[in-house]
Amino acid sequence: MPGKWDWLKDELRASGMARATPLVLRFIGGRLRGPDDLVKCALCPNMCRHACPVGIVDGRETTSPAGKARVALFLRQGRLQATRENVSPLYACLSCDACSVWCPFGFSVADLLRPVKEKTAGGVGFKEFREVFENLEKHGYVYGEPKPSGSGSRNGDLLYLRGCTLREKHPDIGEKAEHVFQHLGYRAFTIDETCCGMPAYNLGNTSLFRKLARKQAEKIGSSGAGTVVASCPSCVYAYRVLYPKHGVEIKAEVHHVAELLEDRLKGLRGEGSFVIHNPCKLALGLGKPRALWKTLSSVEGLTVKEPRRSGSETFCCGHGGSAVPRLNPELARRIALERGMELTEEAETIVTACPTCKQAFQSNGFKALDIIELVYFLLGGEQCSR
Amino acid sequence: MGAGVETGCAIPPGALDRLRGLLGERFSTADADLFSYSHDYWPISLQWVLKGSFPWLPSAVAWPENTLEVQEIVKTAYENSIPVYAFGGGSGVLGGTVPEKGGIVVDLKRMRSIRLNEEDMVVEAEAGVNGYYLEKYLNSKGYTLGHIPQSLYVSTVGGWVATKATGQFSTKYGGIENMLLGLEAVLPWGDSVTVKPHPRTSTGPDLRSLFVGSEGVFGIITRVWLKTCLAPGERILLSYVSESFQEALESVRRILRRGARPAVVRVYDETETKRHFYMFEEAYGRVMTVMIVEGDSRIAGAERMIVEEEFRGRMLGEEPVKHWLETRFTVKEASEFTPLGVVFDTIEVSVAWSRAMLLYRSLVEAMRSVKGTLFASAHASHFYPQGVCFYFTFAGVPKGDPEKYYNEVWSVAMKTTIENGGSISHHHGVGRQRRSWLKEELDAGFQLLKKVKTAVDDKGLMNPGNMGL
Ligand SMILES: Cc1cc2nc3c(=O)[nH]c(=O)nc-3n(C[C@H](O)[C@H](O)[C@H](O)COP(=O)(O)OP(=O)(O)OC[C@H]3O[C@@H](n4cnc5c(N)ncnc54)[C@H](O)[C@@H]3O)c2cc1C
Ligand code: SF4
Ligand code: SF4
Repeated sequence: MPGKWDWLKDELRASGMARATPLVLRFIGGRLRGPDDLVKCALCPNMCRHACPVGIVDGRETTSPAGKARVALFLRQGRLQATRENVSPLYACLSCDACSVWCPFGFSVADLLRPVKEKTAGGVGFKEFREVFENLEKHGYVYGEPKPSGSGSRNGDLLYLRGCTLREKHPDIGEKAEHVFQHLGYRAFTIDETCCGMPAYNLGNTSLFRKLARKQAEKIGSSGAGTVVASCPSCVYAYRVLYPKHGVEIKAEVHHVAELLEDRLKGLRGEGSFVIHNPCKLALGLGKPRALWKTLSSVEGLTVKEPRRSGSETFCCGHGGSAVPRLNPELARRIALERGMELTEEAETIVTACPTCKQAFQSNGFKALDIIELVYFLLGGEQCSR
Repeated sequence: MGAGVETGCAIPPGALDRLRGLLGERFSTADADLFSYSHDYWPISLQWVLKGSFPWLPSAVAWPENTLEVQEIVKTAYENSIPVYAFGGGSGVLGGTVPEKGGIVVDLKRMRSIRLNEEDMVVEAEAGVNGYYLEKYLNSKGYTLGHIPQSLYVSTVGGWVATKATGQFSTKYGGIENMLLGLEAVLPWGDSVTVKPHPRTSTGPDLRSLFVGSEGVFGIITRVWLKTCLAPGERILLSYVSESFQEALESVRRILRRGARPAVVRVYDETETKRHFYMFEEAYGRVMTVMIVEGDSRIAGAERMIVEEEFRGRMLGEEPVKHWLETRFTVKEASEFTPLGVVFDTIEVSVAWSRAMLLYRSLVEAMRSVKGTLFASAHASHFYPQGVCFYFTFAGVPKGDPEKYYNEVWSVAMKTTIENGGSISHHHGVGRQRRSWLKEELDAGFQLLKKVKTAVDDKGLMNPGNMGL
């Protein structure tokens, strides 16, 4: 079979352009150091704009995927001053990675922006983030001083990590989860957990992220658990994908609840119509775009609907990535409304698998259940709070 | 105006206050926003992006959310003699949105409601609706617009009408002008006009055509009504290898004469066949044609028979078409080549069948003759019973000023097209790159166009300089 670049070699010969030969041959041979990824993205016509919740809902070039890469490039070049106004567009990102699904280079804009964020954020010192960093430094918890929690018992065989948002906003889901795990045959236990570090990572404070990661890994390790399950897909993403990249090891197997429940609900019966919202970190970050659908559609009697943008085309609830709800709560609200309306065209009740998504929809007037709540209900628990 | 950034036109304080009062956060003079709206996808403006240095910046950017807000912005601009530039997805490739006289860029992307009328098979969309978003919405209801440009993910409905765009499936569904039933636009002095969406009407000159291909010079399109079609029940993938470009084109001409309308037809010359289909050995060095016939299964079945009867070439099956479907939105060239100093661009022109091969050969030769050209090639991308669109690609490694080389290639290409009886643009439009040739293309029509411009836009504020107007 002819090679990918044979045509160009033929053209080069035919053009008689001896001068261009070394450049072209080095390019073909992969020996030419081309532009870095940020430059490539800045020169892209925005081929993932349609998938980016910020790009679509905010409608600004400045916060579109390639637009953010351009702003980052201008900041890096020193063409734009690192003022709050100029740096803010870099934080109009949900870290949802929807861009990477469509990108011909496979880029995630969130990753491309991170080095520039790290460089500039310190100088700008967003006051909206300062409190988060302080809370994380002091308490290892996003929301300030946590209420005492964690059974501390190490008798179980499954360590359940609830994550900050579930502990703060939906502690009842934590209790229901333990009941669900019991039904599946596990003896679950909790610990006095530390934040996984994702908020620090998303907000451009990688050193704090590493510190929290080491602390949390140590706690998980000393719990003696062989299997860990978490309700928040971002936490699981941190444990499975980011920690190893930053040299932090977790020996236990880590699952998200939707993964644990997959294939385990057969024989269960229920009724009602639900629409599923795939959390981005589950669908894209962990590469499980069908997990929620597979799990729920195995329950007899349930009508499970999918929205227009589903599977790996999922659309963030607007509250991912830690930054948008803090710097631009109005944009976060508008994205949640956009997604909520699309979902509720299919069914009144949304089922998701992420405490932040649930919170985003619920606080904007939609009925939203975490998968744990639904399963708890199907198992005969009382009517879930909506 | 943002600190340290020079813009071409100062907005008087009264007008600034009025617009800030009207739009709040949706009106900006922040540097990051001004930089973001000072270019589009014109290769020359990509050089500016690369350097982070722009010859022109707007004075402000506005993001209206409805027609009334657009009217207020335009009225304020008119009263204060401030230039206005409509901005869709910024995917235009000819500098159509470059704010060369300063002023206000009006980005329509916050206007994105969609309403489908299934009985009438009409969809109403605000100008800022994203292309993919619209198509996905229609598909979920069992319809298609049939308008699938390569920039589907990037561009807007308003931008399509303003540039008279056309999609990859145009041989069946037509260009955007064939889908457009009606529109609403804001005129240069701030009033709005609605051309109602009738199935057909004979009520004087067609006012829609004032805006189709207007590239922002007559006003701002705020809403359109487009025809929809049922999503295809059947899709048939066909491909052929021919011994020559001419033989393949001749086959397509015979198919169209008989009334068959494959949605997609693309015929690649020898160079482009090698480039895009190198993995199909049988085609290497020959001419590849990919085709998609789609629609109601009975009609599609009949069209397939016509294609099979008329195409002289070796059938290659579905795989090359699948390969095209998988790669048709892979856009990497500018990102990879621009920073290396390689000049790369595409030029699309149209021509009647009787002059097609002559124009193709002359143009490839003309582009190759410019010193520094590495290659020049083409595929035929859109077809009509009367003629064809050739989509040329060229790349060069110039010794001196890249912009000079770039303009030299464009110059010979435009000149050769006109000499050979073609039209200098099939679907990208005119913008700032092609404006110096429009006069020659339109002849006396250019004077007429200028008079229309002066009558409609008496202060010359709508996208001034674009199209040479
Ligand atoms: C990768 C790529 C592939 C492409 N493929 C195709 C293709 O297959 N077919 C095709 O036809 N084109 C194609 N193009 C060109 C471009 O996408 C089209 O011209 C598209 O229609 C532009 O739409 P936009 O919304 O991006 O407009 P913009 O680039 O924002 O604007 C283009 C022009 O229209 C004016 N304008 C925009 N919106 C309005 C409005 N609401 N009212 C009045 N004026 C307005 C602007 O002032 C400007 O002059 C491609 C471009 C790229 C980068
Ligand atoms: S990570 Fe999500 S929000 Fe950020 S640019 Fe990509 S698609 Fe947009
Ligand atoms: S992430 Fe990829 S597709 Fe999106 S703008 Fe950047 S280069 Fe383009």
